[in-house]
Amino acid sequence: MRPLLSAFVSVDYPGRPGVLQGVDLEIAPGEILGLVGESGSGKSTLALALLRLLPFRGGTTRGELRLRERDLLALSERQMRAVRGREIGLVLQSPISALNPAMRIGRQIVESWQAHRDHSPDLPGTLEMVSLPTEPSFLDRYPSQLSVGQAQRVLIAMAILHRPALLIADEPTSALDAVTQAEILKLFARLNRQLGMAVLYISHDLLSVASLCHRIAILQQGQIVETNTSEEIFQRPQHAYTQALLRAIPRVPEFLPV
Amino acid sequence: MTRRFLPVLVVAFTSTALAQIGGDLRFCLRADPKTFDPLLVEDDNSEAVRYLTGGVLLRVNRVSQQFTPELAASWKVDEQGRRITFHLRHGVAFSDGTPFSADDVTYTMNRLMDPQLHSATADPFRSSSIPPRITQLSADTVSVTFGAPVSGLERLFDQVAILSAHSPRKLAAVLGPFQVAEYKPGIEVRLSRNPNYWKTDAGGRRLPYADQIHLQIQQNRDLELVRFRRGEIDLINSVDPEVFERLAHDAPSSVTDAGVSLESEMMWFNQAPSAPLPSYKKAWFASQAFRRAVSEGINRADLARIVFKGHAQPAAGPISPANRFWFNTTLRPHPFDVPSALRRLQEEGFQMRNGQLYDGGGHAVEFSILTNAGNRSRERMATMIQQDLTALGMRVNVVTLDFPSLLERMTQTFQYEACLLGLTNLDLDPGAQMNVWLSSAANHQWNPNQKSAATPWEAEIDRLMRRQASELRPEARKRLFDRVQQIVWEQEPFLYLVNKDSLMALSPQLQNTAPAAVAPQAYWNIEVLRKSSQLAGNR
Amino acid sequence: MTARRLFAIAALGLLLATSFGAGLLPKFSYSAQHREFTDAAPSLRFPLGTDELGRDRMARLLSATRVSLVFAAAASLGALILAALIGGVAGYCGGWCDRALVHGIDLMLSLPWLFLLLAVRALLPLNAAPLTSLLATYALLALLGWASPARVVRAGVRSLRDSEFVLQARAEGVTELRILLRHVLPNLRPILLAQFWTSIPLFILTEANLGFLGLSAGEPFPTWGSLLRELQDPLLVRPEAFAPVAAIALSVVCFKLLSPRGGYQV
Repeated sequence: MRPLLSAFVSVDYPGRPGVLQGVDLEIAPGEILGLVGESGSGKSTLALALLRLLPFRGGTTRGELRLRERDLLALSERQMRAVRGREIGLVLQSPISALNPAMRIGRQIVESWQAHRDHSPDLPGTLEMVSLPTEPSFLDRYPSQLSVGQAQRVLIAMAILHRPALLIADEPTSALDAVTQAEILKLFARLNRQLGMAVLYISHDLLSVASLCHRIAILQQGQIVETNTSEEIFQRPQHAYTQALLRAIPRVPEFLPV
Repeated sequence: MTRRFLPVLVVAFTSTALAQIGGDLRFCLRADPKTFDPLLVEDDNSEAVRYLTGGVLLRVNRVSQQFTPELAASWKVDEQGRRITFHLRHGVAFSDGTPFSADDVTYTMNRLMDPQLHSATADPFRSSSIPPRITQLSADTVSVTFGAPVSGLERLFDQVAILSAHSPRKLAAVLGPFQVAEYKPGIEVRLSRNPNYWKTDAGGRRLPYADQIHLQIQQNRDLELVRFRRGEIDLINSVDPEVFERLAHDAPSSVTDAGVSLESEMMWFNQAPSAPLPSYKKAWFASQAFRRAVSEGINRADLARIVFKGHAQPAAGPISPANRFWFNTTLRPHPFDVPSALRRLQEEGFQMRNGQLYDGGGHAVEFSILTNAGNRSRERMATMIQQDLTALGMRVNVVTLDFPSLLERMTQTFQYEACLLGLTNLDLDPGAQMNVWLSSAANHQWNPNQKSAATPWEAEIDRLMRRQASELRPEARKRLFDRVQQIVWEQEPFLYLVNKDSLMALSPQLQNTAPAAVAPQAYWNIEVLRKSSQLAGNR
Repeated sequence: MTARRLFAIAALGLLLATSFGAGLLPKFSYSAQHREFTDAAPSLRFPLGTDELGRDRMARLLSATRVSLVFAAAASLGALILAALIGGVAGYCGGWCDRALVHGIDLMLSLPWLFLLLAVRALLPLNAAPLTSLLATYALLALLGWASPARVVRAGVRSLRDSEFVLQARAEGVTELRILLRHVLPNLRPILLAQFWTSIPLFILTEANLGFLGLSAGEPFPTWGSLLRELQDPLLVRPEAFAPVAAIALSVVCFKLLSPRGGYQV
């Protein structure tokens, strides 16, 4: 099967070259790929690079980036904008600051739909899918009136509004408590199952992705050192760094039914 | 210094004051003197030091306004006013004991006329292209011969302090009542009594009475006032009317209104043909009827009463009544007469509609009066004139500008309509005013630097001024200059507003004061000023 | 609405209402010179006495209040619009454009303001009616007063531009124009509002400085600044002449109370 997204990218920041060095990544349609690495390894940079959002942060991306055989690096900014949100969705790390504090959440969801207007939005359906209430009193709230978990669900709802083929989630659970974390993980699994949406799930925590992901890629200092199925990673880690990560886990994980 | 020590100091002060006759006098200079060389004086503060320390051949008495002999016991003007011969006083010595002789006068005059010295005091001596020649006729006779006749040439010598040709102490050897004892920059100039000063009082006692003069350098006039009120200084040579009134309210004996001074306040319209003004405005300003109407629309009595608290009087013309000899006594200030002003304007083709005046071409009469920012009396006068002229239907804008900007408009760009400023004639003689009245002069403010006189009356003023300059008989000169004043009164190129009084604050402890309207008002007779000793400790 | 804001609004409202109300009364003329009553003590006819030219101090104060409050607010608005445009462009565009504009802002802030105002005032046409000179003064204040708020706006825009929610909006494919209008500007509002309220007292005080130096509106037009000139007299003993000081102090305090404290953190 042809990959949904294939990337071979290097990223430089002014004064800080080689943040990513030839990161080679392939995601198949409907696959959940986990990307694991310690903080500073370049995980978030990769997420932005895949959406070509790095120029807004001052970074430059080199290499090859293909979505269903389309060369994303060759697209105009206008064409690229049509890809963002519609074909590739993004969920950022800290849900509260990723929502505009001056806008009611209902309005924000509508804003992100209006960015493309490609089909009539299934707003109640989407909200239900992420287990959020649909009544107006909820949609009239400002982000500061939401719990962190609710805010994260709003972000996910906005990201899947256009049913993108790929959803990139950049540490979506790091700000959450353990129970909510587990719920969000289940939510991603469900979205993947129900919508056939491929997910690039970025985390620093090998354990939390283990239950969710089909495959796992290990990122160390801007390079992918190992990519393999979750089982292989846990049972037969090849790279020394992967082994070190595994040793750092306090106990052997029990797999959740995926 | 804490308050506790004060009684001790007062006792000390009182006992020294009792022991001596004149005590110490204290007053303020506005800034540091720029020079102590009497021939290089250009600023008021250096002038004060020169006046107090310098000995001159003859002096204009500040009260009688007559020439009085000083180092020259007598003098004679001859050769049709080209030569003045001085007979010097005998037995006079410099402060260091060096005897005074004709050598010193010759030395001083030669140094003064040295082109390398660039002395401003020398400028009036250079009125003709040939520099004056100094001839020492004997040990006590010196003559100065000018290239051309100079009317009233004695007055030039009031400014020339005689230096010593032979004293080893050079400039420090003086002939005036005081000598510089110490100079602390920014703090004070201390003068001490010249022990060899030649004058004595009627009782044969050597002058001056005072032992020392402390000229304290104080830029801030408010602080000067505070110090006067505390008794720390003995006099303020000139005070504002408000300050005067306030001091008079607290201690009537501490202030003196020495009567009308040489200072006048005036206003004029810009008549320069190159001025960037619309032609109809130029036509108004060139019209005698317009100027006379404005003049009659101004309530000068109110200006004097309100702005100057009564310490001023309506002015008639360019010469203040304080200038006893030269003032044209037949002139009266223009009356405040709105109906007459309106009549003049109507005859000139102006029309009043709904309280607004229009000229024959239908232009609303509006002009601005420029004055220097920060001068409150002028701003108030301008505001009152603004109000007065609404009765004539004129809209007046009062504009205040910092002095350099104002001067630039007045002398360079001519970008103004009317200007309100003051004028002080330091020199009583009209010869010093050639640079104002000649139509070719730079200070012919309403239309300077004319190639040939723009109007017949300006041509007549030119003729009269030139004639008086070559005329030697004072009465004949006076008749000529009276006519100039008459023309200026009729034509009003300058609208004279008020003549200010000379107001000063004098400590009641000062004795022998004889305030003059002419600078240096309060201390012109410094040699006889003294402080009464019994009051010295009483603060 | 806290008590202090209520107090500020009530006091400013009262100040504005009395000054505008008094403007309707024909008896109150700020320019009429009652020359027989110069420097008069307070009386029924002249509640604050008269100045040296016999003008009704009360009428002048009320007229000046009207002018100073309205014009300071207008100048503040003008300066704010400039600040929003210049600071906004600098913060949003970044790069060389930002560097150039920041240098411009720093230059403006380092200029000797008073000297500049003096110089510019000297260039004004002389035959400006008092109202025109007043307009010119405040227009100048606005033209010179944008730099400090522009710097704040720039910092605000910059941090908004780099904020997570703008990044999120970009990731959703929202256009730049909509990001500016829907995400950046609404979040800038508290900053702009705070700058507006803090600029007004600043302009009131600057005008007072200028007026004190005789460089505000031309005579006979009163402003708070020009009324202060009476206080230059070191011998002034009339307490009623200090009324403009009280008016200025009251309004400045009120505007300070109205300006949001701490404000909104981006």
